Amino acid sequence: MDRLARNIIKYRWVTIVTVLVLTIFLSFQIKNLRLNPDVISSLPDTDPDAVLIKQVSEEFTVNNMGMVIIQADDIFTGEALEHIRLITDTLGMTPGVASVISLTNVTEIRGGEEGLQIGKLVDAYDLPDTPEELADLRNRVYEKGTYTGTMISEDGTTTVIIFTLAEDSDVKTVARGIKQKTLALDLPEKIYFSGSPMMATHISDVMIADLQRLIPIAFVLIILILLLGFRSARGVIFPLLTTIIAIVWTIGIMALGGFEMSMISSDIPIILLAVCTAYTIHVMNKINQEREKSWQKATLKGLQYIILPVFLVALTTAIGFLSFVFGTYLNMIRDFGIFTALGTIFAFLLSIFFVPAIISMLPSTVKTTFKLDDRIKKSYLSDHYLAPLHALLFKHPKYILASWGILLLISLLGIFFIQRSVDVKDYFKKNDPTRIAEEIMAQHFGGSKPIFVRFEGNMQSPEVLKTMIRTEEFMKQSPYVNSTQSIADLITQLNFALGNGRSIPDDPNQIEQLWFMLEGNELLRQFVTDELDKGIIISRFTSPDVKDKKAFAETMRKFISANSTPDCQIQITGMPFVDVTMDRSLINGQLKSVTVVVICVIIILSVILRSFWNGLFASVPIIAATLLLFGIMGFTGISLNIATVLVAAVAVGDGIGYSIHVISYFNHARKQRKDVREALQETIMVSGKAIVINVLSVAGGFLVLIFSKFVPLQHFGLLMAISMVGSSQGAMTLLPVILILVNRKKEASKNKRLNESTH
Amino acid sequence: MKALIKPVILAFFISSYGISSYAQDAVSILWKVDKVIFAPRDKQGKVKMILKDKSGNEKVREAIMMQKGIDKKLYRYTQPESQVGVATLTLPGDETWLYMPAFGKPKKIDLLAKSQAFTGTDFSYEDMEPRTYSDRFIPKLLEAGQTEYVLELVPKSAQSEYSRVVAHINKANSYPVLLEYYDKQKKKIKEASYVFEKIGPYWNAKEVTMTDLRKSHSTRTLMSDVKFDQGLSDELFTVEKLKQ
Repeated sequence: MDRLARNIIKYRWVTIVTVLVLTIFLSFQIKNLRLNPDVISSLPDTDPDAVLIKQVSEEFTVNNMGMVIIQADDIFTGEALEHIRLITDTLGMTPGVASVISLTNVTEIRGGEEGLQIGKLVDAYDLPDTPEELADLRNRVYEKGTYTGTMISEDGTTTVIIFTLAEDSDVKTVARGIKQKTLALDLPEKIYFSGSPMMATHISDVMIADLQRLIPIAFVLIILILLLGFRSARGVIFPLLTTIIAIVWTIGIMALGGFEMSMISSDIPIILLAVCTAYTIHVMNKINQEREKSWQKATLKGLQYIILPVFLVALTTAIGFLSFVFGTYLNMIRDFGIFTALGTIFAFLLSIFFVPAIISMLPSTVKTTFKLDDRIKKSYLSDHYLAPLHALLFKHPKYILASWGILLLISLLGIFFIQRSVDVKDYFKKNDPTRIAEEIMAQHFGGSKPIFVRFEGNMQSPEVLKTMIRTEEFMKQSPYVNSTQSIADLITQLNFALGNGRSIPDDPNQIEQLWFMLEGNELLRQFVTDELDKGIIISRFTSPDVKDKKAFAETMRKFISANSTPDCQIQITGMPFVDVTMDRSLINGQLKSVTVVVICVIIILSVILRSFWNGLFASVPIIAATLLLFGIMGFTGISLNIATVLVAAVAVGDGIGYSIHVISYFNHARKQRKDVREALQETIMVSGKAIVINVLSVAGGFLVLIFSKFVPLQHFGLLMAISMVGSSQGAMTLLPVILILVNRKKEASKNKRLNESTH
Repeated sequence: MKALIKPVILAFFISSYGISSYAQDAVSILWKVDKVIFAPRDKQGKVKMILKDKSGNEKVREAIMMQKGIDKKLYRYTQPESQVGVATLTLPGDETWLYMPAFGKPKKIDLLAKSQAFTGTDFSYEDMEPRTYSDRFIPKLLEAGQTEYVLELVPKSAQSEYSRVVAHINKANSYPVLLEYYDKQKKKIKEASYVFEKIGPYWNAKEVTMTDLRKSHSTRTLMSDVKFDQGLSDELFTVEKLKQ
């Protein structure tokens, strides 16, 4: 350690220049970073359901479909219809929109004795406006049946305009254009947007807005906390500078490696700001304590002690983040774990190489006027918190232990109440328009969670089309499937319109010739591939309940295995199926990541303390803090979701740092032949201050996420802040109490042995 | 006051004369176009339709086309194989019939919306309407250039999907070179370019390319083996004959 410390000082210029060059280079890479708000692209290639969803999205134009939802007291009024037409035209004029279908432009094919009527449901430029015309339209719409639940709600208050985006269009540009132009019409009806392009763009916009709003708040907050803690410019500048450099490197490498920023990884800067200032704080705190004539000597001496504990703290934090690699379902969480761990390592390296390199070059005159020990002793924090805490620890160690015991028992009970949530609508606040849109879709249009049944075979074969119809009929037996759509439906409708019955013709030639009438129809690409060798049934699942989804998946799989043939291969997938796996992975992921971190933490602590049992004892505070976290989640109703599933592992990885600092300092003091009381006093007074400042800055940083527009991230921030407070208090109360009691026991047995030997 | 009124009245007369003579010019230009296009008594030939999507994928259809006068037209498909024998017949009075051999019986199609694509091509039924331009549009001369006239054609029918069509007419021979279609929001949505050739005394559009700008999809029709004034009988254009 001594050699490393000397080399850090010796090669300081190399460090400074390297850091500068790397920072400049990587900051230029950041502009190439792309945002990816699409959850589907984050689904893993190991899950067959997810793979099939991605495949279906590529084969058919289903993913490019969006909806404008219009709500009024009654859609069947002249005014509302006129506004629907206006929005339909507006969407049609928006660059990048390939097709628009609404009540005012939908094609109607009707059959009769004489022949076939091909027309529109209404004349867009002579809309019905008399009571008779409107009543007639209402009757025709509900008589036909195919519009109910797909284009108009059963109660006639809500309608959707369905649009598809051109294949090569930029989704975000088009979606923003649609939203902006539609809202600019300033219509009296309530207007919402739904469907994957609109949802993805909304998430992306919220991500950008979050970053723009939250990063400055996090900065200001951390500056304030550092300023209050250190009361020096250096105490603010160094921790912030190293963290900013670590963020630039992390994001720069993300961009360089072609990774995309997801809804979760967009908060890497804020999380690094919260977590990584700690390393520099501890390094500076230690250097400041060294009473040397020059900064260079103080740095050398400080480094000899601090490198190891800071390394261990950074290591456990990085392990906390990396633990997601083992248990996660979504790729975006895996990437988040990898890059946050990388950021943590960068911040650590900067704190032990870059910060000392600069500090060691400060003029020596400054050091002589800087008496940090005195300041510690006289600070408000020391007088009002650390000193009384130390007194309390020695006065009532058993009471403190008992209080923790009760708290943990209550928390254990809370674990049974933890809920899970994988529903995208839960990402948004209750008044968020996207959430309202999702709720409207669920209430009136069978939800927005698509189910796809993929058929591989000749799409013009009567057998394949008949199997499609049979599958649709079977699906509709579920109370959670309202409607289904496929090419087989279109063929049946056309056949019926030609007066041949509502069925798929037996003659393949008839099907081929009916197809002739469908040529050029926009809907075709949605249901079949150009090669006519694959087709899909599109449906939606209404129940958000995972049990219902599981039961439906099971029934469908049985049906499919009974009906799939080499000439007509059937597969089913969809977000409800992915949700089931995602839900299961929340528990598995949580267990795996926490287990990995806790094992690593026990190993690391055992190595420091040179005893497995001592390592286990020292892990008790962090395990206690984790139980406390789960208890709070259970009692407050904060569900386990894609973001809160990260909390426990990060909290253990980062929170164990407090225990490491306490143990390291305690051991360090004991080596200087101080007794337990003295050693603990010094630990609480010196390490305690750094811990309190660090907790405030970390918790403050995480609490900034409360202002995020994503509910999971709000909860993540809140829970992380609570965990940090919990683990720091565990390290400063439970751990010292364990140390006191263990040492008392040791002292007692030692005294007993001494007495026995003297007798 | 009188001194003021006189020039105003004079200016009004001059300008209205100008407008009226321009309108007159436009009407006569369009009338000449109709005269060129609908000059033959009858016409028949092979039509090859090449449908091309934005990725460059092509689909080819072939049909035999027969036309008598302005308002009797028959397409009988010969390619692709699955559509052999499928036929469409348009008759006076907006009457359209579709024959699909697999169903054995011709069906009358009541086209309530003429913006429908004509058998999957980029031409709508409105574009294919068996009526003269003069009958369908009110023309206005926008420009009289060196080689072409530019006319603005406003549909007479409120049911049209277009707000206007800008037609570029070859000055020397009075056939259209380019038609630009604008929707009701005044946005250009389609354009059709024409290549004419002279066969005997008539000008014939040997190649027409209609591009739907919204879908980046185009249909190129190529005419071959064109024969004029063969004395096609009315019987060929009957529902009964569709089956053959």
